[in-house]
Amino acid sequence: MTTTTISLAASARDLTRVYGHGDTAVHALRGIDLDLPSGRFTAIMGRSGSGKSTLMHCLAGLDSPTSGSITVAGRALESMDDTALTLFRREHLGFVFQSFNLLPMLTAGQNILLPLELAGRRVDAAARARYDLVVGVLGIGDRLGHRPGELSGGQQQRVAIARALVSEPDIVFADEPTGNLDSEAAAEVLGFLRRSVRELGQTVVMVTHEDSAAAYADDVVVIADGLVA
Amino acid sequence: MRTVLRASLRTHTRRYVSAAIAVVIGVAFIVVTSLLSDATRAGLVAGVELPYRGADVVVTDVDGDQAARIVDRAEATGDSAAVLGWTPQQVRVDGRLVDDRADVAGIALDPSLRWQVLREGRFPEKPGEVVADVNAVKGKDVHVGDAVEVGEVAGTVVGLVDTPSASSGGAFYLTWPDLHAVDPDLWVDSVAYAGPGAASLELPRGATVQPRDEFVEQRQAELTNEVNVLAILLLIFAAIALFVSVLVIANTFSILFAQRARDFALLRCVGATRRQVLRSVRVEALALGVAAALLGLLVGTALGYLLVALAISALPGGSMAYPAPSPEWYAAALVTGVLVTLVAAWLPTRRTVRVSPLAALRPDDSTSVRTGAGRVRVVLGLLAVAAGASLLALSISAHDPGAMVAGGVTSFTGVLLLGPVLVPALIRVVGGVGGRVAGAPARLAAQNAVRNPRRTAATTASLLVGVTLTTAVLVGLASSRSAVDEDLDRDYPIDLAVTAADRPLPADLLERVRAVRGVGTAIALEGASARVSGAGRLPVLAASGIASVAHGSPGMAAPAPGEIWLPADVAGPRRVTVEVGEHREVLRVRSGAGWGDAAVVAPATLAALTDAPETWAVWVRSADGADAEDLAGDLDALSQAADASLANSLRERTWVVLQLDILTGTVVALLGIAVVIALIGIGNTLGLSVLERGRENALLRALGLTRRQLRATLAAEALLLSVVATVLGSVIGVTFAWVSLHALVEAAVDRAPLVLPWGQLLAVVVVAGVAGLLSSVLPARRAARTTPAAGLSLD
Repeated sequence: MTTTTISLAASARDLTRVYGHGDTAVHALRGIDLDLPSGRFTAIMGRSGSGKSTLMHCLAGLDSPTSGSITVAGRALESMDDTALTLFRREHLGFVFQSFNLLPMLTAGQNILLPLELAGRRVDAAARARYDLVVGVLGIGDRLGHRPGELSGGQQQRVAIARALVSEPDIVFADEPTGNLDSEAAAEVLGFLRRSVRELGQTVVMVTHEDSAAAYADDVVVIADGLVA
Repeated sequence: MRTVLRASLRTHTRRYVSAAIAVVIGVAFIVVTSLLSDATRAGLVAGVELPYRGADVVVTDVDGDQAARIVDRAEATGDSAAVLGWTPQQVRVDGRLVDDRADVAGIALDPSLRWQVLREGRFPEKPGEVVADVNAVKGKDVHVGDAVEVGEVAGTVVGLVDTPSASSGGAFYLTWPDLHAVDPDLWVDSVAYAGPGAASLELPRGATVQPRDEFVEQRQAELTNEVNVLAILLLIFAAIALFVSVLVIANTFSILFAQRARDFALLRCVGATRRQVLRSVRVEALALGVAAALLGLLVGTALGYLLVALAISALPGGSMAYPAPSPEWYAAALVTGVLVTLVAAWLPTRRTVRVSPLAALRPDDSTSVRTGAGRVRVVLGLLAVAAGASLLALSISAHDPGAMVAGGVTSFTGVLLLGPVLVPALIRVVGGVGGRVAGAPARLAAQNAVRNPRRTAATTASLLVGVTLTTAVLVGLASSRSAVDEDLDRDYPIDLAVTAADRPLPADLLERVRAVRGVGTAIALEGASARVSGAGRLPVLAASGIASVAHGSPGMAAPAPGEIWLPADVAGPRRVTVEVGEHREVLRVRSGAGWGDAAVVAPATLAALTDAPETWAVWVRSADGADAEDLAGDLDALSQAADASLANSLRERTWVVLQLDILTGTVVALLGIAVVIALIGIGNTLGLSVLERGRENALLRALGLTRRQLRATLAAEALLLSVVATVLGSVIGVTFAWVSLHALVEAAVDRAPLVLPWGQLLAVVVVAGVAGLLSSVLPARRAARTTPAAGLSLD
């Protein structure tokens, strides 16, 4: 790996996150320093309770750190208020969750286009081309009219990935994306995530506790007890 | 199982708040009704016997002249008789108008038949002496020794009295000769007769004579019945409120149990039997019902006593007394509250136990629970609507109120059954339009609102009931009002008329009248004093410019040549001879009322009668919102000074309009209670949905929905629910009003056009919309407060 001009998708400095206070305080993150290069597939690994999910939530602007600084896509997150963070997520980030988290009343196609709709963006020719590309790569073209309840777990997760990719985000965060899938579907989903990095040039950050999943990643960061191990 | 039950009650109490509120309101409504009716009964019945204490017999069903003959006979034979009768009269004290429409009643000269209690001065001893009720003249500056004019009879205030018998009281009391002189046609309720002649009274045909005790007993029973009728009317509204409560509570339970389906399944997994689960949730409902009903008793008692206290302090002479809480009513209210809760919980609890133990092991998919409308339900709904519609059609052709009520209830039930199909369809239409205008939040809201059709329908049903009834009442009253308005325009075309008696009005009077506060338009009418055959001396006025002050278009505004319009009470023959000085005309008589003691002719006719017309009358149209009493008082002072008389139609008009306004206001306020419960229901459904959709909302926030947009989504959902229910309810309500107009009113009067009070209908929609928005405030705040990360880790 050459060290010359690797651009950073995200970085964190001295990141801490404390839940509760006093005797009951839980130190989920105890001072994390982390750089995530862009255009790569990074896995954040750790046991359950290690703080890896909290780290991802903080990096993704879903949760605010207690102290420390986070820079994502060149922007400092700690200075943003809730609305600014929301708009930032809308513009720059994509998400894939363990439990799929598709809206049950929308069809797969509608779920995929939801980020654009929330941002009030018109589905123009470019967006439509991107949508077709993503849908094609993920192989869900024939399931777009179905509601989540009518899809298998693997299909639901592919829809969720498509939703994360459709707005061409700077980073896609995936939180245990294979946690609810059988090994075949899991391999398929991980394959798609890797393809999105290789073929679509996306940056993907995945939180997982499975070594087999981490094996698909370019880089692996291990978190233990709220610190980078 | 007891541990589970107790823990469940502890955990879910907050979610039951709105269901409890619905029960509390319904139960409190019943208790307040019982207290108010008991207070009214106590007040009315108290002292009923007082006026008859000294009497031997009581004569009823007589008119003023017949009563006068009974009094004459009593005097002639040395017996005594007191007439209990009333007449509404203008009362002036020291030349100042103190009451435009005072209840004037009689007072006996014989102390044994006199029942008023002296507070100041003395009782009247002869005609010309007047006493006033101390409460009725409170703040009106009336004192012993003041000169008083009651109608046309002048006298002196010799005392102030208290009225211990509310059902027989008046504001001013005259001796019988004065009372009979003021108004020979006064309303006579009864004559109390004491003396040996009582046994051999010669009665006019149709009159009834009863021994005193029998009469008093019967009167008390009548008053109690009247109050009972009122109480039953109030209970109808209480029943509506309770019905709406049932819908709200049933919906609450369905949602709660849907959310807890996994808990129930888990319980079943670990060995709870179906019966145990069922019993546990039913006991939970019972606990809720008992607690809420008890709270309702407390709230109702407090509210009832507060209202009675307010009424008593506002109207000291009024017909209220402190009530005695009746155990039967309280028991009934308590039982009703508990039953309503249990009935409302019955169906949802049945559904919960069908949950299979395996459901607990499936991944969380409670949010994708969809309930639709069963085919049976749709068929039943269509049948009910069709049957109801044919009953309604029958009621129109046969003028049959029974068929109308049955048809209304049946078709409305049909609409409620069709709700899960009808309401989501309407929401899709409205939401589609809204989505185009308001963007993503509105579109999401529309999709959220229809995802569970049965829940949506149940939520809107409660509001639908209230709005349908409110709209029907508003439209019905507005339509009957237009008929009343026509009558008013015919009988009271001129608000206020100052008419000269013996000499023309001063030249500056018109200007001074126009300067009075509350005068909208005023015109002076030219005329001359004329001798009209059969009617004596009357001013004859030329009809000119009358349209600018008259209500409607009365005939006398434009008399034909050769016609004369006379007040109905002097118009006798078909033709009269009118003489002004040397001139004489024979004119055809038309009669009407509402413009004072004057005749009206065409300008050309007047020109033929006199060469030098002068101002003999000033007619006034009051400004909108003018205070009728003040205006009449001011104009009365002006006309007294000018030696003229004031004819006051505004008083009657204001009185009738006020009665209608009070009726409308009361009915709408009573139905408002049902609407309030329904809106609590909407807030409740939203609040519970927010809990259920915590994960989804967090996801939307993660994907870039701002807090404001999330709040907007929930607000839009509430707005959609309330507006769709309101609009649907308005349409059904207007239809019902139209049917009842044809079925009931058209049987009585020739034509009853449907009048839509657009302003009021719009107000109903706006109020429901705003209230819907308000009901979304708390759930939306709660939803927006959760951070995306916290929401996503919910499980």
